[in-house]
Amino acid sequence: MRKESILLSLLWVFLLSLALSIVHAQEITLQVWDVFDPATSKDAVEREKLLRKFEEENPGIKIQHNILTYSDLHEKLVVAGVAGSGPDVLHMLGEWVPEFVLMGIVEDITERVNTWNEKQFFPDSTWKVATYKDRIYGIPSIASPRVLLYREDYLKKAGFDRPPDTWDELRTVAQKVTGVVEGVYGFGFCSSSNAIRGPQEFLPLLWQTGAEWVLEKDGKWLPGFTVTQAEEVFALYDDLMNTLKACPPDSIGWEWQELDNAFVMGRIAMCYNGSWMQLHEEKAGESFKHWKGTRMPANKNRATYFEVKVEGIGKFSKYKDEAWKFLTWILGKDQMALHTRHDNLPARTDVISLPEFQEDEWKKPFFAVIPDGKSFPPIPMSESNKAMMRELQAVLYRQKTPAEAAESLLAMLQEILETINE
Amino acid sequence: MEKQKLLPVWFRVWKKAFSPYWYFIPLFAIVGALMIYPLVDGICLSFWSKNLMYPGKDKFVGFANYYRLLFEDKLFWPAFRNSIIFTVASVLFEYLLGLGSALLLNSKHVVRCKNLLRGIVLLPWVVPIAVNSLNWRWMLLPDYGFVNQLLRIFGLGSIARGWLSDLRWVFPTVVLVNVWRSFPFYTVTILAGLTLIPRELYEAAYIDGANRWQVFRYITFPGIKGVSTVIVVLHIVWTFVNFDVIYLLTGGGPLHRTEVLPTYLYQQAFNYFNVGYASSVGTFIFLFLIVTVGFYFSKFSSLYIER
Repeated sequence: MRKESILLSLLWVFLLSLALSIVHAQEITLQVWDVFDPATSKDAVEREKLLRKFEEENPGIKIQHNILTYSDLHEKLVVAGVAGSGPDVLHMLGEWVPEFVLMGIVEDITERVNTWNEKQFFPDSTWKVATYKDRIYGIPSIASPRVLLYREDYLKKAGFDRPPDTWDELRTVAQKVTGVVEGVYGFGFCSSSNAIRGPQEFLPLLWQTGAEWVLEKDGKWLPGFTVTQAEEVFALYDDLMNTLKACPPDSIGWEWQELDNAFVMGRIAMCYNGSWMQLHEEKAGESFKHWKGTRMPANKNRATYFEVKVEGIGKFSKYKDEAWKFLTWILGKDQMALHTRHDNLPARTDVISLPEFQEDEWKKPFFAVIPDGKSFPPIPMSESNKAMMRELQAVLYRQKTPAEAAESLLAMLQEILETINE
Repeated sequence: MEKQKLLPVWFRVWKKAFSPYWYFIPLFAIVGALMIYPLVDGICLSFWSKNLMYPGKDKFVGFANYYRLLFEDKLFWPAFRNSIIFTVASVLFEYLLGLGSALLLNSKHVVRCKNLLRGIVLLPWVVPIAVNSLNWRWMLLPDYGFVNQLLRIFGLGSIARGWLSDLRWVFPTVVLVNVWRSFPFYTVTILAGLTLIPRELYEAAYIDGANRWQVFRYITFPGIKGVSTVIVVLHIVWTFVNFDVIYLLTGGGPLHRTEVLPTYLYQQAFNYFNVGYASSVGTFIFLFLIVTVGFYFSKFSSLYIER
């Protein structure tokens, strides 16, 4: 009798767990790794609501949302990917795409994209960032060009009724604005060894000299600039920091946090920056109404960094169809209009053309500079970025002249390209 | 009992001799999977040219990575030198500060709030390293950082500076933050050692007319020598392989002034994806620590045994 009851209980447990596993098997969980933190961004709050809405509309699919910072996200994607795992849906900076493709951790979605009837709503310039060697690896989600962000009140106080439009004007305005209010400097920029925002400011300056970072010739990558062109860029930084003393003297090595805060606190009058600065509206208080954006001052060319963020499918995802369904839904017109309404800028043209986006005074200068926008070249950029910042710091600390730094930067790039070309 | 007798003799002997070792299997399995395997794998990898971006192009290169590391890499030796200075300076100041604060907390003059003071001293150590380092990073900001604000309030504005961007001050600053974070561990451990020294020894010494220095030299210090050896060795290892403090404060910059071997390894592995080369850096760290710690023990364990 006792034996029978034990057997019966075991049978029940077995049946129950079988039933549970069947129910569980019908529900899948999509792992989504991105940077959208509702604690810090209004757009992220909207996105979080949309994730829940997607779950409601798709009862068999659960979303597990993992929020990371950009540097952690990059590291975790590499580690997981190399180990043969990773998320179903991943958020990427445009410059990560070549690296991740080469490592084999992001899915080729060319066929899916080419048959998607909404492809046309994304500009070619954004698809270019999601493409590597003619194959597409993600859908553009945020497309945000950089502007020259400036404090109109400081400039007016120094006697300028318009922002600088050329490098020479930038030098003059930055110098004159310095000290117009006690403790205020004319300009600020990033030059951290961590090389996140710094290269995004350095490259547009190089493009403005008429150069490229790299050029492709006969299937090989070659340096796209001359020593003179790089020297011009280093000389501009050197002038602003050391000759004209128009930047905070202790700002060498600033990363984006320091730069953004310095602008919010009114310590610098100008910097190159993006649409996310709107997040600081409350912190800036009254001074926010003096924040204006305009095109980056030009040299021979006009150019700005066009930051395109891409969402892709993990190579090792078991649920690629569901991940695609999620991606095309969250990056659909109605959804994108919600989660790029505040501090982000949408990649879709049909969202940009919505009246609420067109009439947004904050977003206007960003939309206006899109034609000047360029993205990083489609090669792995990590080593290049480090080299740029290393040489820039050498100039700022006066360890090298702009000409010497330009020469070593070119030499380093040649070495980096040798490996890439191999 | 009957069943036992049925078993062959050789099996019973074998079972008796080896049965204690079976209990070690879970331990060996975990240590093997989490420590030995990655270590051996890392050493093997160091003989390969392997870049994560070029998965099909792994190549066995023998000692080429080590040759490059020791004879061609311009950043390796400065990073190695920084690692040694960082370790020696950190361990030295941590020990002095830990010893000083432990003696103070153990002193009969500090009677009130002893436990509260011990708790307060422990604070920097219980805060997670990442939180600690990021707090310091913000406190050391040039303009609106707490440290410079404080200096200005006390009329010392002239020495306020970008502590993490000034080429001369960045390294001492990083050492200071590390010392601040780690010294409570010394305090607590030495304090535990101090409480084990019999009071009678002190009483006898004072009756014999010993002064404070003699008491410290001949009673207190020998009493904590064993504990000191252990914490110093532990901290040599922990500091030499410390990554998070420097990475979060400076990332190894500016101009590699705070580049140490762990940050250099990270850069090779996660920025450039050269995992083969990064493994050779890791293996070098491992071998260096084995030799250093071995030397330290051979030198100081005899002193410990004498006692």
